[in-house]
Amino acid sequence: MTPPSEVPVASDLYARIVAWVNREAELLDAGKEREWLETMVSKEIVYQVPLRQTVERAHGTGFSDTTFHLNESYGSLMTRVVRNESGFAWAEDPPSRVRHFVTNIRVSELEGNRLAIKSNLLIFRTRRDQTQPQLLSGERQDVLRNEDGEFRLVGRTILLDLTVIETHNLAIIF
Amino acid sequence: MTGANSSNGKSHSVSERLLDELREGLPDGLIPAALFGNEEIFNLELRKIFARCWVFLAHESEIPNSGDYVRRKIGQDNFIVVRDEDGGVQALFDACRHRGVQICRADSGNTDIFRCPYHGWAYDTKGNLLGGPLWKNAFGTMSKEQNGLLKVAQLTSFHGLIFATLDPTAPSFEEYLGGMKWYLDLVFGLNRHGVEIIGAPQRFVVDANWKSGAENFSGDDYHLGTLHRSAWAIGAFPVPFADNMMGYHIQASPGHSLSFSMAPSEDDPGPKFFAYPQDVARSFDTSRISDEQLRIASRSRVFVGNVFPNFSILLAPMTDDGAHFPPTGVLTIRTWQPMGAGRIEAWNWFCAYRNMTPDQKDRVYRSGLASFSMGGVFEMDDTEPWMLASRTGRSVAAEVLDLKLNYQMGLPGVGIAKRAENWPGPGIVYWPRYEEGVQRNMFRFYCDMMRAEPGTWPKASF
Repeated sequence: MTPPSEVPVASDLYARIVAWVNREAELLDAGKEREWLETMVSKEIVYQVPLRQTVERAHGTGFSDTTFHLNESYGSLMTRVVRNESGFAWAEDPPSRVRHFVTNIRVSELEGNRLAIKSNLLIFRTRRDQTQPQLLSGERQDVLRNEDGEFRLVGRTILLDLTVIETHNLAIIF
Repeated sequence: MTGANSSNGKSHSVSERLLDELREGLPDGLIPAALFGNEEIFNLELRKIFARCWVFLAHESEIPNSGDYVRRKIGQDNFIVVRDEDGGVQALFDACRHRGVQICRADSGNTDIFRCPYHGWAYDTKGNLLGGPLWKNAFGTMSKEQNGLLKVAQLTSFHGLIFATLDPTAPSFEEYLGGMKWYLDLVFGLNRHGVEIIGAPQRFVVDANWKSGAENFSGDDYHLGTLHRSAWAIGAFPVPFADNMMGYHIQASPGHSLSFSMAPSEDDPGPKFFAYPQDVARSFDTSRISDEQLRIASRSRVFVGNVFPNFSILLAPMTDDGAHFPPTGVLTIRTWQPMGAGRIEAWNWFCAYRNMTPDQKDRVYRSGLASFSMGGVFEMDDTEPWMLASRTGRSVAAEVLDLKLNYQMGLPGVGIAKRAENWPGPGIVYWPRYEEGVQRNMFRFYCDMMRAEPGTWPKASF
């Protein structure tokens, strides 16, 4: 396997990726989850939020390879979308107000028409009359694949900067 | 402390008044809303309940090897649960004997020494003090035996589930469980292999009162039809709401309650053995349980229960993707850690029978995560009303208007639930599940514990 090659910031490809990332955030912030899933996500997606523990420095970052907060496929993501459309998804009806802030975007090319995108993610969320937001910060590691001329999300790993998650649910999409 | 005058003119605290109201209201199914938010009650609970009752710490499969440890909570305090050098399990209070500093620096790991970061006092995996830097100069021949880490008063392992209590006067764990043991055997002893934990526990914070989790898992089946209505819209759960209300509500012993979803007839085509895959179900036998327990498990669709105070168990058929995968039995255990009158830290573990294939364990884990976890389609809705109940619990209006919550379902003349005849297991049993005696049972024992003097215990049997 050849090592990934970094895509320069001043390139058309990088600009296309930033536009992709911005469009995705816009759809998610607007609650257009079905449109996001159907137009931006690959049927083969692996979408994971690994569990993290506090461990000593010698043992690394504390992320688990085998246990998760979310471990989703296209089918299970579609299940979430259908649920939110059911009219009985109390956790997100009325919906949270959610804003995705995506920064520090780094793009590199992988084999097989794929791109690796690393970014920093900050999610700001409020519900009801809350004035203190729920904040979720982490690294987003995405893999995009060119499928019939369109980039589709085929891998997403969210590395949260938390061990105890300070939100009452994860009814949102990272 | 806020004072209030009782009718006899004797001054008495808010918590005493609320507990009086609880005791007087329980026979009529009336519970003061303030129990779910009052700070004075909460502070009393930490001492009267969490510092006395048997609480769940860990499963032995989380610490298989000598030196393996996990950091866990009793009430709000950290304990190191560690496999000692002789293969035993210790639960050590995470506080150095010198200045009280926490010596366990990680959520889990493996070590043969716990060293305090302040002055370097070091302890072995049994909590024995080994010494510190320049020990002879500093402390000479001072007794090390008298300066080991403090331990829980009693500890036990039950089907690999490690429980402990800080109270040396607490009854033995078996006596504390009473009739609940029969039902826990039925879940954790379904075959000779037993269960193991899959992965590390998920932890998340909910702005709610711990009793909302405990009473829900004591057998609140009636909320499914409304709160979890979306589960049917997506095919996550295979039994229709009204059918799922068929089954038994069981007050196993004071404080501990549970509920089975079960079809009226043994010939019903619905899920058997909680919808475990057939080859797994074939391994369920009477090596650790009786014929009667096995027969009940075979007819069961859902088991949900709570060991007082805050250890909850759910075994139910679930799927993450109903369009592609049929539901499978998912066993989850959890604790509702009391971090404040309106603050729970929920800990959530998934379990699998050891003889399941890696693929079957993966199905269990995925289905569990997608249903009963903070990102799961059931649980994400559960936390919403618990937050709102705790808001009412803190409310001035609820106090001034004297809001009593209604726990009357299943009282004589209320609904169709009746005492069940010919039930082979222990406890007070009702059929079908239109019934809140399971919650009243939890609150009755809660009330007794809150009023019990140190060293005395309410009755552990009916």
